[in-house]
Amino acid sequence: MNARFLLGALVLGVASVSLAQSGSLSLPPTFVAGSAFSLPTTGSGKAVFYIVGPGQALRRDVDLGEPVSFPAGTLYNAGHYVAILSSGASTETGQFDVVPAAQPEKISFLAKPSRLPVGLHNGISGAAYIFDAYHNLILKPLPVSFELSNQSSTVQARTVTTRNGVAWTEMDSATKQGSAKFVARVGDISSTRVIAEVPGDPCRLVMTARPDGKNVELQTAPLRDCGGNPVPDGTIVTFTESYNGMQSTVDAPLKQGIAKVEMPAYNGARISVASGVVAGNEIRWNGR
Amino acid sequence: MAKGILIAVSIGIATVLLIVIGTIWPVSTAVFFAGGPGLGGSASTPIAASRRLANEIHQHALAKAYSSLGNKAQFTEQEFVSDLTGSTLSLRTYATLDTYEVRPLHESANEAEIALRMHWSTVVGTFEETRDLHLVKNGDHWVVDWPLVKKPVVPPQVFAVNYLRWDVIYRGAGDDWGSQDVDAPHVRIIDMHPVNRAEGVVVLGELLNEDVVPAYVSVRATLLAKNGSVLASEDSFDKISHTLLPKQVTPFLIRFPGVDISQIASIRMDPISVLVSASADPVIEVQNQKFNGPPAASLNGQLSNQSGQIVNIAHVLTTFYDKNGQLVWVAGQYIDRALLPQTPVDFHIPVPADLAKNIANERTVVASYRSGSSD
Amino acid sequence: MMRRTLLMTCLLAMPLALAAEQPSVQVEPPNLHGSRTVESQTGAAVVRDYLESWQAFRTAMDQNRADLLSPDFAGTALDKLTETIHEQAAVGIHTRYTDRAHHLQIVFYSPEGLSLQMTDDAEYDMQVIDHDKVLTTQHMHARYLVVLTPAEARWRVRIFQSEPAATPAD
Repeated sequence: MNARFLLGALVLGVASVSLAQSGSLSLPPTFVAGSAFSLPTTGSGKAVFYIVGPGQALRRDVDLGEPVSFPAGTLYNAGHYVAILSSGASTETGQFDVVPAAQPEKISFLAKPSRLPVGLHNGISGAAYIFDAYHNLILKPLPVSFELSNQSSTVQARTVTTRNGVAWTEMDSATKQGSAKFVARVGDISSTRVIAEVPGDPCRLVMTARPDGKNVELQTAPLRDCGGNPVPDGTIVTFTESYNGMQSTVDAPLKQGIAKVEMPAYNGARISVASGVVAGNEIRWNGR
Repeated sequence: MAKGILIAVSIGIATVLLIVIGTIWPVSTAVFFAGGPGLGGSASTPIAASRRLANEIHQHALAKAYSSLGNKAQFTEQEFVSDLTGSTLSLRTYATLDTYEVRPLHESANEAEIALRMHWSTVVGTFEETRDLHLVKNGDHWVVDWPLVKKPVVPPQVFAVNYLRWDVIYRGAGDDWGSQDVDAPHVRIIDMHPVNRAEGVVVLGELLNEDVVPAYVSVRATLLAKNGSVLASEDSFDKISHTLLPKQVTPFLIRFPGVDISQIASIRMDPISVLVSASADPVIEVQNQKFNGPPAASLNGQLSNQSGQIVNIAHVLTTFYDKNGQLVWVAGQYIDRALLPQTPVDFHIPVPADLAKNIANERTVVASYRSGSSD
Repeated sequence: MMRRTLLMTCLLAMPLALAAEQPSVQVEPPNLHGSRTVESQTGAAVVRDYLESWQAFRTAMDQNRADLLSPDFAGTALDKLTETIHEQAAVGIHTRYTDRAHHLQIVFYSPEGLSLQMTDDAEYDMQVIDHDKVLTTQHMHARYLVVLTPAEARWRVRIFQSEPAATPAD
């Protein structure tokens, strides 16, 4: 059978008919992902129509002379494709692209870190990849708005246009601790991440001592970072007592903002306090 | 033909004879390994009586050992068993007596003192224990008076605890790209120092959890040769306190047996941290630490559990510094008994004699493990 | 800049040139538009892993074996390629890709280091084979936009999408 095929396209309901010539199919250069289309054919007899690419592989049996219809949602993965119409010994081919739909449907929002100290310039970063309903990256530039808000600080907001489907930004952590919402929005879809803005190192570490029977009771003042944020409970404070060539140490966690321990009371003992790499005051115990 | 039969019959008779002799007068070693009464079945001398007791402990025949004691009226069999295996779950509970040595201290016609040094095996290595046995001659044999270490009694009391712990919810297993997860804690190596020893290079250091959440930590060191190739890579294994609370510092020690420091051009350090659930309790005080210089250099001290919970296994790790604050050595010890509340337990950490002269001060941390606790 | 381009091209091309079937590879310096700087080691690892992913892609598509993809692909790319292979198997075809040239450029490295975007002006031949019959052999030229994300020991391709050659990058 020596068939000549007429192929055209009906994209989004608009017919665009082209003739196939010399074994080469004439197709529209692009289709929109997921849209319905129809390809008229000419001639008579049976044939097989293929659309093949890295994204999809479709096959349709064709009655030549009848159009080949592809309902919405049949060809949806963006990419470069080959169309093949095979009938007996005759094969005609063409190439075309499927492009992402224009409407954003999904954001993949990579926000880092999930936790950081307060007052860090550009400490928070977010990258938003914008996809259509079929998980195709939308390459057409789109405005993405980023917003970082924390109950006790002013809102940081900026709009960035996507390039190659991605928009990114950097923002400062607030000066006050708390849970911040980091939102990326494009059109009417959005994605939210929660960023914990936590206190920094203790700024001033001060302990006091008072006698308690045979022991000395040591207690820190409420610990705060240099921005006045209370250092979180559980932070380890190390108390060290040195006396007569001997030493006692306790790693005590902050509870309700303070660390408190009892150590043996030796007159003349030196008692120091530290938390991480921050050193506090030193007391020479003389019984009072 | 007749000669062959004669030889076969002779061998048969000799075999039967040897079996009979072995059954009636067995060799004590064979009896011991067969689970019988053991070596030194006789108690005709103080040494033999001590050995017999040690063998019974080795075989875990504690009822038999108890029944042989001269002072068993002073304590129950259960107290004797608790003395050897621990009254609460601890390293002793699953320890086995590996070897022992007996050393006479004093002997008269009717009394003797023997030092029994026991080497126990546990999953984290061995620990040693020496008991001074008092023996009394009773007729033609000697009996051991066991020096029972009484179980400490914690006075009834109530501890007010502001229970503080962290729980973590991680993201699910699905590969939802971009979905939120919780970051690993930020940890930092604040000191690192390689030391050349006869057995190889040892990398010492300290690691700080600078985050506000607890971390499970480990450190890997990779030795690089001058041509950039990897000489060896090891991690800190158990020479580190694996759970670090916020702003807590742990020492670490990584051994590279058979490597000389001259072979090394650089060392790559990789601290590893994972966010874990943890509890801020119990607090363990390290009391009365005293460093004893050479020749038998060691750090002695006591651990005191400040909480109301029993700590089943405690691991003491000490960093030793010179007078300039530079790292000199890291050493540690597992405590074989559980830490009861407010009950001090001794520790003893040996230090290499050649390094001891450089040591000016030290810092000790305690890692603790509690039965039934996930943190 | 030019010297660096040439150097990277040579470094990558030399081992590849040893095998006649290997594609030619040209790597342009990154064009990051202010995003995170790419260390040279990272850049080299990304290019190496991406080219390896093409090998896996070729074999998987030719043998209709989706299981060969998972070391090199993740997420959407893995899902879509796997689906294509299942479709190919269902309609009784397989495809033989022979990549001839890759012209690579890193265009984005996210600040937190969790994703990296690269363009690949790729030239390749594609044979569609129905059982044993070659239906067509096509020479293709497509601009691939690839997003890679770091896994335990390598970079894996997470988005593998071509766009019409006429569409400007910016």
